[in-house]
Amino acid sequence: MNDLWSWVPWSTLGPPDVPVLLAAVVVAGAIAGELIARTTRLPRVVGYTLAGWAAALGGFGVTLPLNPTARLLIDMALALLLFEIGSRVRLRWLRHNPGLLATSVLESLAAGVAVYLALVFIGQPSLVAGACAVLAIPASAAVAGRVAQEIRAEGQVTQRMGYLTALNTLYGVLALVVLKGWIETERAPDLLVAAHALLVSSIGALLLAALLGLAVSLAARRLDLRQEGPALLVLGLVLLAVSAARWMGVSTLLVPLLAGMLLRNVSDRAWSWPRHFGTAGGLLVLLLFVMVGSAWSPALLVAGGAAALALLAARALAKALVVWLLSRWSQLSLKKGIALSMTLTPLSATALVMLSELERADPAFGAGLAPIVLTAVALVELIGPVAVLVALRFAGEVASEAPAPAKEPT
Amino acid sequence: MSLGHFADSRALTLGVELELQIVNTQDYDLAPHASDLMRLMKGKKLPGDVKPEITSSMIELSTGVCDGSAQALAQLREIRDVLLDAAQRLEIGLCGGGTHPFQHWKRQRIYATPRFHHISELYGYLSKQFTIFGQHVHVGCPGPDQALVLLHGLSRYIPHLIALAAASPFVQGEDTGFDSARLNSVFAFPLSGRAPFVQTWAEFEAFYAKMTRTGVVASMKDFYWDIRPKPEFGTIEVRVLDTPLTVEKAAALAGLIQCIARWLRVERPFDLSEDDYLAYTFNRFQACRFGLDGTYVDPTSGEHRVLRDDLVALIDKLEVHAMELRAEDALLLLRSEITTSGNDAGWLRALYEREHQLSEVVRRQTLRWGGAPA
Repeated sequence: MNDLWSWVPWSTLGPPDVPVLLAAVVVAGAIAGELIARTTRLPRVVGYTLAGWAAALGGFGVTLPLNPTARLLIDMALALLLFEIGSRVRLRWLRHNPGLLATSVLESLAAGVAVYLALVFIGQPSLVAGACAVLAIPASAAVAGRVAQEIRAEGQVTQRMGYLTALNTLYGVLALVVLKGWIETERAPDLLVAAHALLVSSIGALLLAALLGLAVSLAARRLDLRQEGPALLVLGLVLLAVSAARWMGVSTLLVPLLAGMLLRNVSDRAWSWPRHFGTAGGLLVLLLFVMVGSAWSPALLVAGGAAALALLAARALAKALVVWLLSRWSQLSLKKGIALSMTLTPLSATALVMLSELERADPAFGAGLAPIVLTAVALVELIGPVAVLVALRFAGEVASEAPAPAKEPT
Repeated sequence: MSLGHFADSRALTLGVELELQIVNTQDYDLAPHASDLMRLMKGKKLPGDVKPEITSSMIELSTGVCDGSAQALAQLREIRDVLLDAAQRLEIGLCGGGTHPFQHWKRQRIYATPRFHHISELYGYLSKQFTIFGQHVHVGCPGPDQALVLLHGLSRYIPHLIALAAASPFVQGEDTGFDSARLNSVFAFPLSGRAPFVQTWAEFEAFYAKMTRTGVVASMKDFYWDIRPKPEFGTIEVRVLDTPLTVEKAAALAGLIQCIARWLRVERPFDLSEDDYLAYTFNRFQACRFGLDGTYVDPTSGEHRVLRDDLVALIDKLEVHAMELRAEDALLLLRSEITTSGNDAGWLRALYEREHQLSEVVRRQTLRWGGAPA
């Protein structure tokens, strides 16, 4: 990251410290975001991502393994988004709408299987194909949450996008834990060991999630979390839980997601807080998008290109087919089913963090995966938010196009 | 456009229409799921009808023609249960109440529909308040002249009905101080208020012809009167009720109106006169603002009474008619509300007092709409 600064005349002063770089990222991201918002009808995250792209093209993008600062920021931003998306999942809906439950399970399964088969077909080793399959299961909580909020989308497709994304992230992260267990036992597919790893980390995650949920509900009882001040407390609690998860070696994706889901399902009470925790959360989200947008390089693109395209095509097709076929059973019109399937195409920060976790477990193996996954992320990173935007517009769920809320008394 | 033929209908038959709120189950704000809900309702066999509205977070249900409140209640329950089943499959909430307590009209939104532009340009800030939910009750009339006589007779009891049905204390996150803030939105319309004091259809047609000639109205729909004749159905339509929190209350209110109508028709307890309307807007304001505690000025004697007391006295007078129309249960429910728990606006305020959170208030509204006890 520091190479850029070496040619600067005053480089004798030493490389800039991390805060300066972060500030530069924020400024660049914010300018790009506002430019996009002013000149196009696209969401700001497209601008953030473009700022990231510019960084990647300039050769100072984020590289794997993620450096501690980048990892910390990505974890924190993603934690907020996952906590929020999790706290919108009422499991009772899956009971009342078995078609939706089936859609959720099958779209994840189909995406995994399709990606595995596609990659094996083009000659990738089966373990690489398997790992890519796991990483391809989750849709992007960051894109789904952020874009829907920014364009103020509301409706069945928006609601289901959140549910399906939360659930496929859950499945994906659990599958990753199993995969890591597998790899850590020197690739000897020992189911017992894998199951043990899964058990230990799930219990740890559940425990932390329960603690976080408890703390937030205690806070909610005394404070009005819809106000920016008290909402900062929740933000702090989420960040604390994620730090604890990192320290314990438990998935930083699983804890906030499970905590949100627990909170939503333990009590029926209505509650809410400013989305993405207001300005503080918005800053983290901006950093997240810029960094994820920069997590590639032209060389990587060449190395992973074909496999990444195969992965993306197989994944999109599998998810779309399941959502379309089950749209009727899940009480959705085919038109909205098509829109819903489009909202599942983004693949972003979640995959990056999962990849980073794999790389920590087995650096060589992770490095082998990186070109495919990072290229796929880079390719979809810009298309993703646009796909979500187009899909929600197509479904008629964007505020500016929705039928007027006002009416004359009849 | 002429008024057309006043359709035949059996005297004192009832029809009930309810405008319902569609909310999300996250923060219980209004949510635009009407088209998905309508899709699931397609092909369902219902005793009445379910229709979409201009607003996509509103749906209107209506009964068929009913003999009385018991039949209306049975139909309303049946429609409600089918709607609730569909709502569950979409994970959305349905509730009564005359306004959504905290929905915020978002200034930044620019609506693509020309109709919205027209409305917002014409009414300015008032257009913010038009997302309101009411109950309409149709009463069958054997002929147009009888319809007008019934309309003017019922007008005396409009304040009573407003006070009893009031269920809209909160607007845009604020306690308005009114029990029925919804009606303030209706009163903002130029042609709101009351029908002209004419007692024959011929005179009414003459008035209507004059109004259409001015170009101010194009159809009966342009009159936002508290009670208005509906020639196509052969009914008069009472439009001052906020949508109650339960179907039981909705049916009971319809029952009360039916009983008053029968009492007026059979006993002719007072002579109609233009002077009945002297205190009309005063009484109506008192009912909107103070609900059952409002003052009612008797147009004949000039006496000031509290609406609560006047309502109890009215229900006593209706006893025979309630027996005849099998509306005893309906009046019993209303009497107990009047004397003990108060109207829905009071219930909403008390709940907010305890919970300090309007989204939780809306959640409880959805539970009550689903049949949970208060």
